[in-house]
This record gives sequence, structure tokens and C-alpha cells, in this order.
Amino acid sequence: MTTKDYRHVHSAIPGLIGDLEKGKISRREFLRTVTLLGLSAGAAYGLAGRITGEALLPAAHAAEGAPKKGGVLRVAMPVQEITDPAIFDWPEKSNITRHLVEYLTITGPDNITRPYLAEKWQASDDLKTWTFYLRKGVKWSNGDEFNADDVVFNFKRWLDPKTGSSNQGLFSAMLEEIDTGRKDKDGKAVLEKRMIANAIEKVDDHTVRLNLRTPVLSIPENLYNYPCAIVHRDFETMGANLAKNPIGTGPYALVEHKVGERAVLRRRKDPYWGGEVYLDEIHYLDLGQDSMAAIAALASGQVDVLHRLELETLDAAQAIPDVVVSKADTALTGVIRMKVTEKPFDDIRVRKAVVLCADNAEILQKAYRGMGTVGENHHVAPIHPEYAKLPPLKRNIEEAKRLLQEAGKEKLKLEIAVGNAYGRWEQDSVVVLKEQLAAAGIELKLNVMPAAQYWEIWNKVPFGITVWVHRPLGVMALALGYKSGVPWNETGYSNPQFDQALAKAESILDVEERRKQMAVVEKILQDDAVMVQPFFQSVLSAHTAKVKGYQTHPTLYHQFNQVWISA
Amino acid sequence: MLSFILKRLGFMAVTMLAVSLLLFLLLEINVESVATKVLGPYSSEEQRTLWLEQHGYFQPLYVRYFSWLGHFLSGDFGDSVRFKVPVAEMLWPRLANTAILAAAVFAVLIPLSLALGVLAGMREGSKLDRSISVFSIVTTSIPEFASAVFLSAVFVFWLAWLPGTSGMTAGFSFKELILPALVLILYDLGYVARMTRASMAEVMQTHYIRTAILKGLPYRQVILRHALRNALIAPFTVIMLQINWLLSGVIVVEFFFAYKGFGALLLEASLNQDIYLIEACAMVAVFVAVATQTLADIGYMFLNPRIRFH
Repeated sequence: MTTKDYRHVHSAIPGLIGDLEKGKISRREFLRTVTLLGLSAGAAYGLAGRITGEALLPAAHAAEGAPKKGGVLRVAMPVQEITDPAIFDWPEKSNITRHLVEYLTITGPDNITRPYLAEKWQASDDLKTWTFYLRKGVKWSNGDEFNADDVVFNFKRWLDPKTGSSNQGLFSAMLEEIDTGRKDKDGKAVLEKRMIANAIEKVDDHTVRLNLRTPVLSIPENLYNYPCAIVHRDFETMGANLAKNPIGTGPYALVEHKVGERAVLRRRKDPYWGGEVYLDEIHYLDLGQDSMAAIAALASGQVDVLHRLELETLDAAQAIPDVVVSKADTALTGVIRMKVTEKPFDDIRVRKAVVLCADNAEILQKAYRGMGTVGENHHVAPIHPEYAKLPPLKRNIEEAKRLLQEAGKEKLKLEIAVGNAYGRWEQDSVVVLKEQLAAAGIELKLNVMPAAQYWEIWNKVPFGITVWVHRPLGVMALALGYKSGVPWNETGYSNPQFDQALAKAESILDVEERRKQMAVVEKILQDDAVMVQPFFQSVLSAHTAKVKGYQTHPTLYHQFNQVWISA
Repeated sequence: MLSFILKRLGFMAVTMLAVSLLLFLLLEINVESVATKVLGPYSSEEQRTLWLEQHGYFQPLYVRYFSWLGHFLSGDFGDSVRFKVPVAEMLWPRLANTAILAAAVFAVLIPLSLALGVLAGMREGSKLDRSISVFSIVTTSIPEFASAVFLSAVFVFWLAWLPGTSGMTAGFSFKELILPALVLILYDLGYVARMTRASMAEVMQTHYIRTAILKGLPYRQVILRHALRNALIAPFTVIMLQINWLLSGVIVVEFFFAYKGFGALLLEASLNQDIYLIEACAMVAVFVAVATQTLADIGYMFLNPRIRFH
């Protein structure tokens, strides 16, 4: 196949091939973008291999021997309620159901998105029309055939405001805001979001088409976001409760589910459309919130996998014989953010002074033992494909002092709210910052509180540290957290210039061009000094050596279809 | 006698009512906060108002209290926010698990601590007495979280004899019960033994014991027939109070060993602001406290007929 022949998949692919040949984009960016545009992962890896001379496919398990069938995998992880995948708010919930209900696409630990329940897809040149061809011959566990009606049903359900699904944000290009004609108590018109006409179309029994208002590149990636599991078209009429009525297309059946205790999945007897899976059973065991309990369970052989390994227990885990600790780089970060609408942070000089005092590399070193990448106060991580490198930040105490003096705040006293929602490192980060701020005469007081209490005030408190989980694209995090007026904009930041620049970046397909635009976006956010964002952390998990084929996913998603237990 | 028991029970009911009112006021007086707890911090104001209306939160406070109390008395504690199941479905099995743990603890604790206390108190100042006292002080002064770490390090990580957590996920396992029970026994043993010792030593000083010894009764008989009954009155109260202590003391142990009991549930409910679960757990804990106190008072009277409460 020549370069031009790839034009039938998507018109932008030949250009991307040229970029890869010239070294303008990395192999990883190439793979990621062409697979998103509909080229199969196999063909993409083959193409990249021919151009760069690197190995065809990631030989992740080559050294692990031939897979063996049978056995029970026991995983330590919180077992939460799993009533309705569309409104899941913790990825842990989806880890149980991912073996039961499946997704249209799947993003692997290598950050490449591949077909799953959708066999392939095609995007129009303007990235506004996406056609998904669904796999044929997939059966639900109740015997029904999986088809386009299932997909249409799920999309309609996600986008219905009554469902309350966070997928509304992901697929906002399929929504419009309408005036309900009602007025609220202040006399303002009540607006409601609803799906635009024809946003999802059933082309035939195994083809669906999405029609978007604006171009979106990340549609296939979004479809593997954890609340996008495809449930049966009769989910609502069957009681809308997956735990009670666990019908799915996946290889496992849910045989037991006790919140706070355990969940048991057993391999279905009928053949699975996706080929061979190895484990007989998967047991999720809830060991509570004490990270030491998980380590003790691993040491005494009560569990085989720790879903998430806390930094405090890393040394203990490494000291256990036959335990493998694995690490994945992510865009998970703790944002020490300032609310720009509240005193004293409404004065940009104060915010700039705080930012100028911070030494992000030191915070990473001291609070997270250097396991991650240094942040640049704009919430886009080097692992994001569109990341643009800006000139390095420099600590400048003299300038900070000058700004404070100019603002008349030489003896500034600040208080920061800390919830430690993701671990002790949040507090440790702030403690290091406290020392750094002291150099410019800023006194920082810590207000440490339980995580649940922090989540009540996270978007109200003037100064706080909030954790943002990994998102595969930088633009996703920025659109969620920093666009004017969006629900999760915790800093109250509102800059039309930033909004426009971000919207432009979201619609550029050419990687090189998009990166140029991202440099603009990142710079605006950095200059407006809304946060000290010290680092992006690596996530850790641990398993015993007999567990094979296990890879840590950056979002800690589980899908154990190719995991097995060696004797 | 009957009137005394009735009085105690009446007092118990009044205490429970007062506590329930306090609890209700503390947790439910701010309706906005109740709605936020139930629907989560991301809920919209409209959703919260609708929910409050549907659940009768706009009625006067006293109406709400009595309807809340009525539901409580009929065993309807509402649904857990975090677990999305009725609170009763979580609460009773967890309470049963803690009762199993407590039973295992008491089965060892009571005979052992009484025996040690009596042995020490029999001959005050002897080598045996001093050894037991030192042992008691040491075990009592090591907090549960420290002994849990220490015992785990030895029996789980070093010797690999015992399982590290006690989730009982594959059904009841005696082996999994050992470590949590051991931690609780160690902590409490010294305390009960020392109370028994003090009480025993005091009895041994009394005139009637001295008389019994002087009139030539065998020592064994003096201890078993005369001293023990009086010496055990004080430890009886202490032991009754331990039931109460266990309910809160187990939180640390259950958390550490991932034991699925009442303490772990209470902690999880508090950390997640699971309002209805907190209410139910708190009421159960208060009930246990008041009930054991009442039982202790009544039992005390049986043990020592000289004591009368008016």
C-alpha cells in the first residue's frame, strides 16, 4: 500500500506519514493520531515500524511464556456500588464491570486506542462526522445479539440530562442549550441541555454515525472513558441496575457483589467473541482504606494484585519476595490553585509572587520521591501528545518580594485547605511550598481536613490543593478546569483569550500545528498565574510474580482478558 | 428489686431519647448540608431542592424529628449514601462480625485476666505479683496500632504463620481471627488484671479474711470461699465496661486488619459523611453503652446484696 492509499481511511493520514518520515512527530504521536483517525492498530504499528525501523508490535509478554488457562486472580481494591455505569464516579467501579460490559474502543497501557465492540471507524475530513462499524456476532449474556440499537440507546441515555452522566461533558459537541421557556426565581430564563437533532444515527443494524456541532479528534478515546460502558438496550426496562441484572457482552459473569467486601466474576461457559481468556475467576477484595492492610495481604498470599500501591508502602512492597512493582507515567497531578475571584488572589501580583517562590522540582523530589515529571503550572503533561515545551520556570525570590511590596502585601499570611484525598503527598507538597514561600516573607498555614470535607469546599476555598486524575489529552483537562464558567472551574478563572486559544487547539488535526497552538494556550495560563502545579506523578501497582500479562494502565483501568496465572 | 430494674430501664430509654435528639439536631438541622451529603458536592441546587422536597425536609423540625424517630424504631434507617443499599443490610452483619471478634476476645480475656489478677493480688508484693504487674503495665501502655504493627511484622512478614488481613472473604477463618483478637486481648488484659489485683489485694487486707486465716482455714479455702466473691465485684463492672470500650476500640484493629466489623463501618461512614449510616451506627453504639451500663448496675446488685440504688 502506498502512502496515498491511506487517504481512503482518512485524508490526513498521508500527511502524518510524511511528518513521521521527516521526524516532525514521534512514533508514539503518529500511532496515536492515525489510530484515532480509524487506521487499525496493527496497520499503524506496521507502518510506523517500516518508517522508523522499530519493532512491529510491543512484545510485552514475550518473556512470560505461553499463557495458561485456569486459576483465580485475587485483587485488592475498594468494592463500591455498581448500579449504573453511566453515572460512575470512580474508575474502581468500572474495573469490576469492565469484565462484564464492554466499550466501543479500548485504549491500551501504551496510550493507543484500538477497536473493541466497534470493529473500525471512520472520521470525516472536518472531524464532525464519525461512523462506527460494529462487530458482528457479538452476543449479550442473555442470548440477544449486540447491534446498533444498543449503541444508540446508550448515547441517548448518556446525553439525557436526567441521567446525570459525566459523559455529557465528553460529548458536549452533540448537545445544544435550549431555552425551556421557564424562569427561575431571579427571573432568568432556565436553560437546558439536550441532544441536537440527528446527533446519533443508526445507519444499519451494525453501523452508527455521530454528527457533531464542532470538530472533535478524541471521540474514539472518549469512548473508553470509564462511564462509557455499553449496556443492553433494555437496561432501563430491566430495572437499570447492573449489580442485580448483570447482562453484558464481556467474557465474565458477575456471581457475587457485596459492597465494601467483595465481588466475584466467573468466566462464562459460552464462547467469547474476543477469543480465549484465561482466568477462571476474578475476585475483588475490599481491604478498607489502610494501605498497610493491602501490603500485609500481599505478603501473606491473600491477594495477587494491589490495584494501587501508595508511595508510603513502596519500600515494604519491594521487600516482599516475588512481588513485582510496576509503574506508569500519568497526567495525575495535585494542583495548588488560587481562586482568582477571592482576596488576596484577585491581585495578580500576589499570585505571581506565590508562583515565583515555588520550586516545582524540589516539591517533586521531597513530596513524591522524584517519581514523576515536573509540572510547569499549566496542567499539560509531557505525556500528552499535544504538549509544547515552554522555557523553564525560574524561581525568583527578589521579584516575588518586589511584587508583594508593590501590592502592599509585604507581610502576607495565607491559609491553604488540604484534603489528602489521594494520599499524604498532597500535604507534603504543601509543606515544601510553605518553606519556599517563607523565603519571600509569606506565611502559609495548613488547614488539613478529611477528604470528604475537602470535596465540599474544593471549588469554593480561596487556596487549596486539588487532585486531577489522568486524562489522555491535555485539552481535556484544560476544557474541564479552566474554560470560563464550566462547572469544574475551581479557580474562577475566566479569560476569553484563553477560551478562544483552547477552542482553536481542540479543532486542529495536524500535530505540529496543534502543538504550536498549545504553546500559546499554555503560556496564557502560565502567565495568569492561577496555580502552582508542582508535578505529574507516576502511579504504582504491585502483583506477585505468578501473575502474567499484567500491565499498569495510566488510569489504573483493569481489563484482565489477557492475564493468566503461571503455575 | 423489680422497681429498681424498671427504673434503670426507664433511665435507659430517656438517655437514648436525649441522645437521639442530639444526634438528629447535630446531623440534620442544616437541610442544605443533608442534601449535599446525600447527592454529593457536584449536585445542582435545583436537584438538592427537589430531593429535600421529596423527602419531607421542608416540614417543621419537630415533625421531622418524630417521623425520623418512628422510622428508626421500626428499623428503617434509610439508605447508605456510599454503599447504595439499606443501612440495616450493612449494619447487622457488621455488628455480628464484631460480636464474633468480641466473643473471641472475652473467651480468652476474662479467665486469663482474672486468674492473673487473683494470683497477683493474693500475695501483694511477691515476685509473682511484681512480674504480673510489670507485664500488665507494659501491655496496657502499648496502643493497639503499635502492637498490631509489631505482631504483623513477626507473625505475617517474618514467620509467615498467619494471614495479614482478616477480611474473611472466603468464609469464616479461625486463623484470620487470631491477630485482631490477640491485639485486643493484649491491650485489655493488663487493665482488667490490674483492677482484679487491686480489688483482690484490698479484700485480702480485710478483717474477715485475716480472721479466716488466723482461725486456721486452709489458704485455698480462704481464697475460693471467702475472698473471690467479694474481690470479683469490681472487675465485673470493669468487664462490662470493656464491652463498651470494645465497640470503639475495635475501630483501629478492624481498620488495620481489614476486618469487616462495626468499627470499620463506623469509620468508613464518618470519613465519607454517609449521614444515615453514621446515625444508625451512633445510635447502636449508644444503645450498647447504655445497655451494658444498665446490665452492670443490675448485675452489681446481685453480686453484692449490700449495695442498693435508690
